[in-house]
Amino acid sequence: MNERPTPSAHKGAVHRPVIHDSAERHVTGSALYVDDMPELPGTLHIHVGMSERAHARLRAIDLQSVRTAPGVVAVLTAGDIPGVNDVSPVHAGDDPIFAEDIVEYAGQPIFAVAAETLQAARNAARLARIDYEELPAIITLDEALAAATDLAPAPELRLGDPDAAISASPHRLSGTLHVGGQDHFYLEGQVAYAIPGEGADMLVHASTQHPSEVQHLVGCMLGVPDHAVTVEVRRMGGGFGGKESQPALIAAIAALAARRTGRPAKLRLDRDDDMVMTGKRHDFRLDYELGYDADGRIQGARFEFAARCGRSLDLSNAIADRAMFHADNAYALPNAYVHARRMKTHTVSNTAFRGFGGPQGMMAIERAIDEIAFALGRDPLEVRRANVYPADGSALTPYHMAVTDSVLDELTEELAASSDYRTRRAAIRASNAESTAIKRGIALTPVKFGISFTTTHLNQAGALVHVYKDGSVHLNHGGTEMGQGLFVKVGQVVAEAFGIELDQVKITATTTAKVPNTSATAASAGSDLNGMAAAAAAQTIKARLAAFAAKKHNIAEEHVVFEAGRVRIGNQEMSFAELAHQAWMGRVSLSSTGFYATPDIHYDRATGRGRPFYYFAYGAAVSEVAIDTLTGETRLLRVDILHDAGRSLNPAIDMGQIEGGFIQGLGWLTSEELWWNDEGRLRTHAPSTYKIPTANDRPDDMRIAIWAKGENREPTIHRSKAVGEPPLMLAISAFSAITDAACAATGYRAFPRLDAPATPERILMAIREATGRAGKK
Amino acid sequence: MYDFNYHRPSSLDEAVTLLGQGEDVKVLAGGHTLLPTMKQRLAAPSDVVDLSRIAALKGIEATEGAVRIGAATSHADVAASGEVRNRIPALAALAARIGDPHVRNRGTLGGSIANNDPNADYPAACLALGATIVTTKREIAADDFFVDMFETALDEDEIVTRVDFPVPRRAGYAKFPNPASRYALVGVFVAEGGDGIRAAVTGAGPCVFRVPEMEAALGHDFSPAALEGIKVDAGGLNADIHASADYRAHLVGVMARRAVEAALEGR
Repeated sequence: MNERPTPSAHKGAVHRPVIHDSAERHVTGSALYVDDMPELPGTLHIHVGMSERAHARLRAIDLQSVRTAPGVVAVLTAGDIPGVNDVSPVHAGDDPIFAEDIVEYAGQPIFAVAAETLQAARNAARLARIDYEELPAIITLDEALAAATDLAPAPELRLGDPDAAISASPHRLSGTLHVGGQDHFYLEGQVAYAIPGEGADMLVHASTQHPSEVQHLVGCMLGVPDHAVTVEVRRMGGGFGGKESQPALIAAIAALAARRTGRPAKLRLDRDDDMVMTGKRHDFRLDYELGYDADGRIQGARFEFAARCGRSLDLSNAIADRAMFHADNAYALPNAYVHARRMKTHTVSNTAFRGFGGPQGMMAIERAIDEIAFALGRDPLEVRRANVYPADGSALTPYHMAVTDSVLDELTEELAASSDYRTRRAAIRASNAESTAIKRGIALTPVKFGISFTTTHLNQAGALVHVYKDGSVHLNHGGTEMGQGLFVKVGQVVAEAFGIELDQVKITATTTAKVPNTSATAASAGSDLNGMAAAAAAQTIKARLAAFAAKKHNIAEEHVVFEAGRVRIGNQEMSFAELAHQAWMGRVSLSSTGFYATPDIHYDRATGRGRPFYYFAYGAAVSEVAIDTLTGETRLLRVDILHDAGRSLNPAIDMGQIEGGFIQGLGWLTSEELWWNDEGRLRTHAPSTYKIPTANDRPDDMRIAIWAKGENREPTIHRSKAVGEPPLMLAISAFSAITDAACAATGYRAFPRLDAPATPERILMAIREATGRAGKK
Repeated sequence: MYDFNYHRPSSLDEAVTLLGQGEDVKVLAGGHTLLPTMKQRLAAPSDVVDLSRIAALKGIEATEGAVRIGAATSHADVAASGEVRNRIPALAALAARIGDPHVRNRGTLGGSIANNDPNADYPAACLALGATIVTTKREIAADDFFVDMFETALDEDEIVTRVDFPVPRRAGYAKFPNPASRYALVGVFVAEGGDGIRAAVTGAGPCVFRVPEMEAALGHDFSPAALEGIKVDAGGLNADIHASADYRAHLVGVMARRAVEAALEGR
């Protein structure tokens, strides 16, 4: 009778390259971010007064002139907080909203001004007179190690007897690598807009990856229960982990101003203030010692890491733990010891950043393998392949988890072939012999990244789905959209469940009022967790619809089939909308929550044993670089990536994540340099001094493929794999390729001890130092 | 922003008169340095005199043996000028690589040299080409104009009106741009003109400077090879968040050789 849409027109289906739901709005500027929302009458604007010192006692805070400045409505300090003066994400009590007696980093908030205009607030804040009694400040990681400023005891991972294995090995090496931090540089800075309601109620529009935490911490700050606070976020202009714990501070200040004045209040940091005030990726010192055999097989390894945490704990424990969990990266170490100290410094408290310590943790072993290959005169790829986790599941990680889903051998060989790695490597070495100033390098590095929050209880998610009586669907879940495409993926999952078109599913803003007690959209787990929760909600409604239709038509439920916007009921058929309407008439509930908790994971931090990860995501990349040995400048010439996204929910979105992740990792390892002066002031707090990669830094020849054979061994949502963080670490291939090119500059006579980021100056100095060593031989 | 008086004179005379009135009067050219400085309260002038509507300050004119460029000419206009590209291609190439498109379209030659930022490109060209800086009061040789970091020979009430660049036999410029800002971390301009070879270095020290050893070596043999082994002492050079003094000293040698190559290729 009617023309049925063909399955190929069925846009909602998973595994299809569906465009991001907001793509057109992003490029036309009609996507609303918090600062774009129409402001309510009487909205106040906030500016935060920050510490000028890295470590000092506050002898006096004179804000009299600030209070009387034109346009100022309220000046807020710690004394104005009705509840708790703390926004620590782990309730450590060490993240005051406003400093009280002591400041511990240059940029720490001391007070805030709420005024009729942002300019009035800024002008007034300058009139503050703060009397500091300066105290000794510890700025660098090495200073912190010398003073043993550990913020928390570090657990250990131990497998076998690493010391004995290293001693018994025919070859040994040890070294130290410094890896820099990274600013998130989300396009949309930190922002929150607080609107006071009646009584104790507070609505906060916040740019946050973690609405439930913002809700709770704002509630604690106001001294009210969570139910009085609603936090909503439609989308962020990038998060990258920088909006996991950090937005609570911003939201708390906005909510405090709203509570004290009874007026809506907005706090939006400008770029410089954002970079100075909020946390970044941890820089690490990585010490390693390995024993290996003549084939480059690692017999035993010791890793001693230290992370610069900044002034408070924040998420540093989990981050340093994840660095430890990734000390092995893709390699089966028969004997291993891993330890990561968490050092306090008088700098901004470092926080989550895409990879969450994992990228830093992997750098040591990738460096060590390059060094082993150099020492043995072998191709680093062969050393890597000799050490990757076997597919048979026989190897344990240093935390005693069997790696049962390794595809590393197959994936790396496929990439080596498709990228023509071996031929190109030989050609590069030959041409380097002929070229004096320009040296090229190439490297293939794999990534194995553990998926799940290692804090097991965080691996849960909720969703809420309504089917309206016209057949349109309202979807809500606890995950947040930050440009990564979570919403479209979960929308596809729901459309797939009901067999309807994606445009029949309305994807709605995340709000604590609809789905409670959510975890941060983090750990790459957004689609895994929220996709499953939404599928469960849809499944509940679908089961009710099927039961209703089966009863009405007197057939078995399994003969009710949802497909291509239609519902087949035995030998009859109707549109999904017709069935929804009939079900409503039949008084069937068309709304359901859904819930998911990742099964089978457990971890005992005290013993360092368990299965913290549900599965691993894999990938590999080949980078070819050229360095100008006269200036140290580098250019990425070609990149080949093969990435395992399982059965990708949306290959178009995943390709974007892979490319973006790689480029962000490239920035971290090559150009982005955070520079603090001796007084602990960050001097790189704007794009004029802090170099993020741009389109010009993307190699012209970039070949990215999602691995065709990819399939999650675990029953994740449609057998897909998490893809948010893992591709960032593919950029380690560029760092290794730069090391290879720098080695070429010594005539392959000495291994250059390059630190990250590999800036031109650092590359040149590494070549000089290595050349000097080669000359002494 | 805070209150200040804004003036936009239409003649140089009017501009000079305005400079003599008010407690702290600043000249506004392209505004790419002054406005950010004011926003950060590093400068808080009582009066700002905007030169953008003074026709006499604009334009590029070729004369016998020289190119005269009005002080308010934008970097983009210098880069695109047929006269400059034909007669001093190195100068056009320098202008084409200053900052980014915003800077090149707003920033001016006069503004750049009057500010004398240690990392600006133009001072190297002025010094190496032996330019003459023409002001509302006098003519100043480039050798005397650039005094120290952000300091020139200009009086408070003196405005640069144009710069006369003698056309060299050959010239070349090479710079290592700061990856983030595109300012010259180190830039070297080498020129062979009427009074011999001049090599001027910007970015490396507090103020643009010449390197007599390089000039002498190039006088014997105008080739990159002639510069091998000539080292600039890192002693007086800048060390900051962007680079160490040692690295800058090293780059002076590299950029000088590249400038000579560019000169030989007529770039």
